[in-house]
Amino acid sequence: MTMLRVRDLTVRFGGIVALDRVSLDLNRGEILGLIGPNGAGKTTLFNCISGVVRPDTGSIYFDNHSLTYAPVHERARLGVARTFQNLQLWGSMTVEENLIVPMDALGRRNTFSDALYLPFSGYAERASRERARAILHVLDLDRYARTLAGDLPAGIQRRVELARALAMRPRLVLLDEPAAGLDAQETAHLAEVLHAVRQRFHVSMLLVDHDMSLVMRVCDYVYVLDFGKMLAKGEPSAIRNDSKVIAAYLGEESKKLPGDIQTIAQAKKDERPLLEVSKLAAGYGGLEVIRDINLTVRPGEVVACIGANGAGKTTTLRAISGMIHPRAGRVTFAGKDVTGSTAERISKLGLIHIPEGRGLFPNLSVEDTLRLVSNTAGREVDISPAFKLFSRLRERRHQLVGTLSGGEQQMVALARAILSQPRLVMIDEMSQGLAPTVVRQLFEIIRVFRDEGIAVLLVEQFVESALDVADRAYVFEHGTIGLSGPAVELRSDRKLVAGSYLGSAADAAAIAPANGNGHHADPALMEIVSVRVPAKVKRALEQRAETENRPAGAVVVELLEKVDDQ
Amino acid sequence: MTSRLMFRVLGALVAFALLARIPVGFDVGFKFDAALAVIWAFGLLSLVLLTGYVGQISLCQATFAGVGAYTAGMMVSSVHVDYLVAVIAGVVVAFALGVIVGLPALRLRGITLAIVTLGIALVFDRYIFQDHAFEWFTGGTGGWRVGQATMFGLRMDSSTHLMAAYLVLLALFCLVALLLVNLHESGAGRRFRAIRDSELAAATMGVNLTRYKLLAFGMSAAIAGMGGSFYPLVAGSVSPQPFWLFTSLQFAAIAVLMGVRYVPAAALGGAFMAFVPDVLTRYGHGTFMGHAYEISYDWFQIAVGVLLIVQLIALPDGVWGDLRSRVRHARSAAGAVGGRRVKVA
Repeated sequence: MTMLRVRDLTVRFGGIVALDRVSLDLNRGEILGLIGPNGAGKTTLFNCISGVVRPDTGSIYFDNHSLTYAPVHERARLGVARTFQNLQLWGSMTVEENLIVPMDALGRRNTFSDALYLPFSGYAERASRERARAILHVLDLDRYARTLAGDLPAGIQRRVELARALAMRPRLVLLDEPAAGLDAQETAHLAEVLHAVRQRFHVSMLLVDHDMSLVMRVCDYVYVLDFGKMLAKGEPSAIRNDSKVIAAYLGEESKKLPGDIQTIAQAKKDERPLLEVSKLAAGYGGLEVIRDINLTVRPGEVVACIGANGAGKTTTLRAISGMIHPRAGRVTFAGKDVTGSTAERISKLGLIHIPEGRGLFPNLSVEDTLRLVSNTAGREVDISPAFKLFSRLRERRHQLVGTLSGGEQQMVALARAILSQPRLVMIDEMSQGLAPTVVRQLFEIIRVFRDEGIAVLLVEQFVESALDVADRAYVFEHGTIGLSGPAVELRSDRKLVAGSYLGSAADAAAIAPANGNGHHADPALMEIVSVRVPAKVKRALEQRAETENRPAGAVVVELLEKVDDQ
Repeated sequence: MTSRLMFRVLGALVAFALLARIPVGFDVGFKFDAALAVIWAFGLLSLVLLTGYVGQISLCQATFAGVGAYTAGMMVSSVHVDYLVAVIAGVVVAFALGVIVGLPALRLRGITLAIVTLGIALVFDRYIFQDHAFEWFTGGTGGWRVGQATMFGLRMDSSTHLMAAYLVLLALFCLVALLLVNLHESGAGRRFRAIRDSELAAATMGVNLTRYKLLAFGMSAAIAGMGGSFYPLVAGSVSPQPFWLFTSLQFAAIAVLMGVRYVPAAALGGAFMAFVPDVLTRYGHGTFMGHAYEISYDWFQIAVGVLLIVQLIALPDGVWGDLRSRVRHARSAAGAVGGRRVKVA
């Protein structure tokens, strides 16, 4: 029976259509997954259902009540609870109190009887307290009942958020990226908890997450959004192998073969690394987002960082450039230890960071923005080379940066970076929110950087384009680097990369039924796989290889192909 | 009645008994200061509710007190009611104004809300308390004179019966303070604190933000207005000066200085606001080691500023809050049990 019915929902932010006639059905007792690449509109849809965003057209019905324009607290009354991606517990209250608030916010107690401590209030108070204890017991949180919520580690706070949502006696729980910031083991535990919660509390759930391993493990049914439209829906196993979905996550498949790039990569191999990051860990507040990051960039090399959202790519860049303070590990740039140095000092050494959103000043003209480079570089800089590279900017030199299109703004950011004659440029999500043609132009410019001998560290969601232009790549997963290697090799093995986006490839390999002829095993590929495979699966693979008397790599390749065929 | 509630009631009674004896034997000036201290303490208590519990910023608490004062003054002088009725009227009018001021708070927060409330304080100071158009409310340039007033049939007026006014004020303060402590630990208090910690989460968990924010502003204004409505009784007249913009700012500064989350800090702050300037003007001049010196009221303002900076560095939870947690630490180090819990008394 349909519990939540979303029909033809459209949301526009200014000129951008965030959601375009999206429909969705959630049945009673179901755990529904909502996935999609960055900017697909997942969060917007989630916010419409939870009441933070109002749709322009369309309707949302929950058990025959219209939710379309209901105020946020009214949804709570109807039995729709939610959790928050960025942990919104009431930090100065105990865990128990956190659970009692939603319970009696929905009750009939009033402020004056509470202040006067009337017997009626006291009775309700005791009842709420007992129920809170019961919920905490089920989620194995008993021992934290009297701890202040703000003092708990992030993983526990996530569980408390779930407990608080359950305290409302909801019929539907909306989970906003519950696996954000959790490592693989914690994510696995979360999946168990969600299953247990469904059984004990008889709730339906809508789960939005980037972590495909969680979505694939927990959800009964999955909807995929892309560019504000519903791209696909189906059972998790079908979604995992849907070519449209894979294409949406990885960008369109590229035709070019980067033969010439490889030679450059080979030539640069012997030089001492320009940037060396070892065992880096960083995070925000109680959340540790990245741990044990090791990566190097050699002079003149283009390196791509790819991986699902929330995997820690941006945080890594921020920790390198000094925008946030690393918690552990070492960052060496041009032979100097710059760990925990200030962003200003690091940029003086020749490391430029173009952050997500480009970090431009909207009220300065193009020319003034470029002239500012003289200020940071400490010498007079001739800005004409920038106009030579980007002739479009010459036409717009007196225009305010804020009035330029997204692609032109990105050009200004790149031009500014080039003018300061850096040794390494780190670019975060260069193509975000830009049309494919513009993206292609920008990637051409990355080649210009390489020709100038400037090293580039890219964080990119258009995986194919990034691998096209890069010499090497690192694939981020759960805050660590899942696999790494020459871009050519990663390109040739879409399955592996897809695995890091659409749930672990190793999981798929373990599930898939297996038999067939032996394949020749690529040792490099095997090495890549071995980094990512959990010990348990690895043992199973080795055992099977032994019984069938052929190399483990062959078994893996065979299993991966099976997944691809399905 | 739980043991915790008994403990609180006992605490309030003891506080009343102790504080009630303090002004006895002092001159009229100090008795006036004592009564004024309680009036200011009401103003600070209103911020404990609004800022300490609900996390809303207001820089117009003195305006609420002023509205309470003028309403009470008008009721007594022109309608000649019993002072009790005047106080109730003052509280009701302040509550209504508080709800109105709370309306922008539904949309605004942080610095914008501070500026809007500052604007309200300015408008009331300049264009209502000091304007001829509102003479029916302010009693003209001279303000309302309250020569004789009775409350519960008792005579209490500024010059001769200050102690009676002080005791009634103090009793009311202890009662309201007790209610606020109760409120903190109750369901409504938790909803208030939920709004303070995360508005978004509070709304999502079923807390009606409109209702609770307006209620918080209304209750806070009513508390400030309750103190203010005694001002004509204590001072004998009302004038705009005590309720001008700067008093509002002083409320905010001293509330933070003393610990904005703690009810007893309001009493501490009230005493500080009333006694220190008076002591300075009385004894702040003379000769020291052959040099003549004079410490005027201006020094008090500067001192508040400097103390605030020192406090924010050294005692981030306010004077009361940090002393309290230090005593706690010392006690738990000595072997007493007790987990970490946020309390207000």
